[in-house]
Amino acid sequence: MLFNSLSFVVFLIVVLALYYSKILSWTGKKRMLLLSSYVFYGMWNPPLVILLWISTVVDWTAGKKLATLENKKKRKLWLLLSMVVNLGFLGFFKYGNFLLENFTAILQSIGIEYEALPMDIILPMGISFYTFQTMSYTIDMYYRKGERARTFLDFALYVTFFPQLVAGPIVRAKDLITQFYEPKKATIHQFLWGLFLLTIGVFQKVVLADALLSSTSDKVFDAGKLLHGVDAWIGTLAFSGQIFFDFAGYSTCAIGIALMLGIILPDNFRYPYASIGFSDLWRRWHISLSSWLRDYLYIPLGGNRHGITRMYVALMLTMLLGGLWHGAAWTFVIWGALHGIYLVGERLLKKLIPIKINAWNGIFLAFLTYTLVNITWVFFRAKGFATANDMITSMFFLNPDGSKILGIAEIGKVVIVITGLFLCHWFMRNTSMKEVSLKTPSWVLGVGWAVLFFLICLAQGSGEQFIYFQF
Amino acid sequence: MNLKKSVGIAVVLGIAFIAIWELYVRSLGYVSELDDNKALWAIQRAKVDKLSSDDIVLLGSSRVHFDIQLNEWEEATGVRPIMLASDGTTPTPIFKEIVEETDFNGTVVIGVAPALFFSQPGKGFMWDRPTKRLRHYYEQTYAQRANHYLSLPLERTFSFLNASEEEWSDDIDLKTLVNNIKIGNRLPEGRPPFNNFGFVDADRNVTMFEKTKTDTAFANGIVKIWLGGIERRPTPVVDSVILYYQPLIEKLKKRGGNAIFIRCPSSGKLREKENEIYSRTVCWDELLLQSGLNGYHFEDYTQLNQFTCPEESHLFSTDARIFTKELVKILLEDQQISNLKTR
Repeated sequence: MLFNSLSFVVFLIVVLALYYSKILSWTGKKRMLLLSSYVFYGMWNPPLVILLWISTVVDWTAGKKLATLENKKKRKLWLLLSMVVNLGFLGFFKYGNFLLENFTAILQSIGIEYEALPMDIILPMGISFYTFQTMSYTIDMYYRKGERARTFLDFALYVTFFPQLVAGPIVRAKDLITQFYEPKKATIHQFLWGLFLLTIGVFQKVVLADALLSSTSDKVFDAGKLLHGVDAWIGTLAFSGQIFFDFAGYSTCAIGIALMLGIILPDNFRYPYASIGFSDLWRRWHISLSSWLRDYLYIPLGGNRHGITRMYVALMLTMLLGGLWHGAAWTFVIWGALHGIYLVGERLLKKLIPIKINAWNGIFLAFLTYTLVNITWVFFRAKGFATANDMITSMFFLNPDGSKILGIAEIGKVVIVITGLFLCHWFMRNTSMKEVSLKTPSWVLGVGWAVLFFLICLAQGSGEQFIYFQF
Repeated sequence: MNLKKSVGIAVVLGIAFIAIWELYVRSLGYVSELDDNKALWAIQRAKVDKLSSDDIVLLGSSRVHFDIQLNEWEEATGVRPIMLASDGTTPTPIFKEIVEETDFNGTVVIGVAPALFFSQPGKGFMWDRPTKRLRHYYEQTYAQRANHYLSLPLERTFSFLNASEEEWSDDIDLKTLVNNIKIGNRLPEGRPPFNNFGFVDADRNVTMFEKTKTDTAFANGIVKIWLGGIERRPTPVVDSVILYYQPLIEKLKKRGGNAIFIRCPSSGKLREKENEIYSRTVCWDELLLQSGLNGYHFEDYTQLNQFTCPEESHLFSTDARIFTKELVKILLEDQQISNLKTR
């Protein structure tokens, strides 16, 4: 079920009505939320709810054993079981076809004729998100970093909580399970702020990503021919905006919906296109994933504790795997590699040229960072290396005879939206929507809210899927 | 910040904005109508699995869609056909799917719009569009079904809910409104505006807009699209199409089913072009000869050849009703279909 759909509106109204009715105890409400979460997921593909159940049961059992057992070998085996099941699901459903394709290509490259039958594997929606979430629980249990879930119901709800089930934020057990222990009820202020966030999130997705940017980005990346530099840049800028509004929109909706239930989810985006440098970017973009990768991959790989070379290797490996997390294709690996190179390069440069950031050089460096990020988006969006190569050469104006496929109005539309996005991120980079809203007169917020609502209705989104569902 | 006050203002203003916009679009002549999208189509497709040997399935492009009126057909025979014709498509992939994936043993009426029908199987937008609809039929989620059913009452109520899967130039959703803005001449002149000229009801029966008949400029705009389209079409593909149909027809007949080809009217310059590019002897006659099926070409029957299409390709609704009645009479006389009313 998508947040930007009519069925979700009905679903949410029913869930809220039951949640705030007096007929259910707190345990009853949690059971209702769990059942609703399965319905939310099952409305897409009911049999795949079984995967969620398996993940839940395996990690609940593993967590319980890890919390009670003292034998190191047995503890390792329980952790291994959890990893094998979760990564096994991820490997089979997400990377099965990719691995088979590469295996076939390797055999063919050494002269062995082999044609594998296509496996036609369905990618379960949001599998990368919920497997990472449950894995964080068992890993924390293994390192005795947290308290185990008190009841199976609390744990199952942690794995399946519908607002963040399919596209995050990836929440740690200590931040979410503990909120389920005591009855939760949103204050009227929280409820309305949650509703406002939901409106903002749907606006980002339906109006900005789908209605204003997606068609330009699709037109450019699916053109199938060499493009003029301006067209290539505009298409890439449009995609940079589309993916931000799509994904940040989902996270904002998730945070808002949870808040309407009185549950607080962490921020997932903090105005990333105003980042000054790439370390800053990854503290602002998909925060829950980057912190997961830091805690469960980069630090276990050695982090910065074993010298500079090892640190750079750990950084590169983390970013390469982070790229692969986003999709089973080599283009995503290149995307990750570019970010890794940027991060390593930035650290090297910082040592050589110490720069004191002020407002003037700050906006320039933010713009430079954003420009370099756009180069990486080409590999993220292109369906193959040929397209990516054509786009990159066009963006460096190496194809002077490239086709012009965008009209002036369309270019203007993207320039206006993206300039607005960049400036908004710049002016908001050290504050938050909440802080700004506190300084805004109520009537101004009300008028703005009405305009957002009207534009959502005018956009008439046909329930386009969120880009990150495929990850 | 007083959020209660903000939400109050937002609700009042939000409703006011919607109401003003709704009144404005109505003043422009927009009416509330259903979107003839893949979800609406899939509901009709699902019905095929439950049909009997007396039933009729209509396949084809927009000509069958506009020209055959379901009420008139039902009135004459007691059978309400299932409308699976889709605008701008070839019926071939749908026919293949019905033959191969269902047990349907009734009659399939296949519309032959030459430029779309005699196109390379498996290629081009005329093939991709029905394939997408089929894919949706098989892969639609429960959420998508629910969304569709929930959207129907809204689409029937509000005229501003006008975004269509067809992406007409005169849709009034935000994306179309923005994309319709043209500045400068960075690009060569593109396709002229392609405006919607009919609306469907829940079982996909089409009614042509009155203005298509009364507003010559509006109709001529659509004619430009047809003429531009036919000029760009590649050479007719006859043999491959017939070869594609032959085993399917055999399979359908073996289980007691039947198929009929029909060629609906066209007029003016478009008809001239069609006759020139898709000559009857090379295309239509050969199709009937090699498929062994009965075919009904509007030019062969005076009662079917009495109409002028307002935009040269489709019948106005009053004419479509007469056309349907006359076609049904002919089919009944030839015992191609059953009349449950007289049985």
